[in-house]
Amino acid sequence: MSLVIRNLQRTIPIRRVPLRRNVEIVRNILGVEKFDLGIIFLDNKNIQHINRIYRKKNIPTDVLSFPFYENLKAGEVPQPSFPDDYNLGDIFLGVEYIFQQCKENEDYYDILTVTATHGLCHLLGFTHNSEAEWHKMYHQEKQVLEELSQRTGAQLQPLSRGLF
Amino acid sequence: MFSVLRGLPRALGSAAAGLRVSAPAPTLRQLLQPAPRPSLRPFGLLSVSAGPPRRPGLLQPTGPCACGCGLGALHTEGDKAFVEFLTDEIKEEKKIQKHKSLPKMSGGWELEVDGTEAKLVRKVAGEKITVTFNINNSIPPTLDIEEQSSEGQKGEEQEPELTSTPNFVVEVTKSDGKKTLVLDCHYSEDEVGEEEEAESDIFSIKEVSFQATGESEWKDTNYTLNTDSLDWALYDHLMDFLADRGIDNTFADELVELSTALEHQEYITFLEDLKSFIKSQ
Repeated sequence: MSLVIRNLQRTIPIRRVPLRRNVEIVRNILGVEKFDLGIIFLDNKNIQHINRIYRKKNIPTDVLSFPFYENLKAGEVPQPSFPDDYNLGDIFLGVEYIFQQCKENEDYYDILTVTATHGLCHLLGFTHNSEAEWHKMYHQEKQVLEELSQRTGAQLQPLSRGLF
Repeated sequence: MFSVLRGLPRALGSAAAGLRVSAPAPTLRQLLQPAPRPSLRPFGLLSVSAGPPRRPGLLQPTGPCACGCGLGALHTEGDKAFVEFLTDEIKEEKKIQKHKSLPKMSGGWELEVDGTEAKLVRKVAGEKITVTFNINNSIPPTLDIEEQSSEGQKGEEQEPELTSTPNFVVEVTKSDGKKTLVLDCHYSEDEVGEEEEAESDIFSIKEVSFQATGESEWKDTNYTLNTDSLDWALYDHLMDFLADRGIDNTFADELVELSTALEHQEYITFLEDLKSFIKSQ
């Protein structure tokens, strides 16, 4: 189904196709290519606004995920009964924040891909509140990014690396 | 898609656009007692040939204008009030005019203005990129007064800022010059008067087609790609194609500023023309 990208910010000039190409592969690796997915680019101000409202954290951040299915077990693929429910939810990427955190030797679109993959794992029920949960999430991200790296030639590391 | 944002309360626009010109309130006297309407045309022939007899006052030629100008033009009390109103309005509009001259677009765009139509032209590595827009009907309607007053009546002191968000047409011609790719772009409605929780791109591509270069008339036989049901990957390629040619969100913001300034400039000119017209003999 559809992967829809929206760019709601002006701060970072950004191209959509490089990210789309990678996220399409990631969806495929995770077996969720039949599901709709939204990716929205925000600047610091707007992601901070959403972060404050939904997480009570008044700071900009790199990614916020809003799952369509809120009670999935980690890695569980939803089994919708209706066509309209083939939807994973939305990933808000703080593209300005990510740009500021991006190191000189890193490719910006690679980091966007890593961040979007992390967000997608959250949509599929993965969390990192405890070490055990993080462990599952880290391994899922690692496995997906390794496979993506094999297909694209990039060298991508999970965003959740070193959280515990 | 975007289910989260749909549930959020939206920021309401600041005030109504339509209030920029409020009609002067006619006095009761003017309503009940129309001013004498001297006519330049003698209706003598009509009075002879027409059926029922008419009120003689309407049909008889009258003398010069009653306003004291000594000429034969129609100058009513209403006209006088109208001119006074326009004088004040022009003064107010000039006071709030942000740009005395049109703002420049960054990125080496050259601007040509023909009345209400503006054209931005840029040449990059053999390609010619033209962006055309018209400021007529480019200010979207905003919320009505009732909705605003429920928002805390903040609109009383400050007049709303009107924003012109015209549709714009991008034309790209390659160096061989045979065909021009035409992309019809619109601003998203989300953007209008809403500071927060927008869920659409700042602008979107609505239609894409080819036109023979130099052909000004649109041909219905040309295929037009409507993006409503377009594959998203193709859509993203088109958006990146525009971004590579300097047409991105920053460009869209600057175009709004330019268009708003041009619209305001044309509005003031119109008011001045209107005032001259009302006053003219």
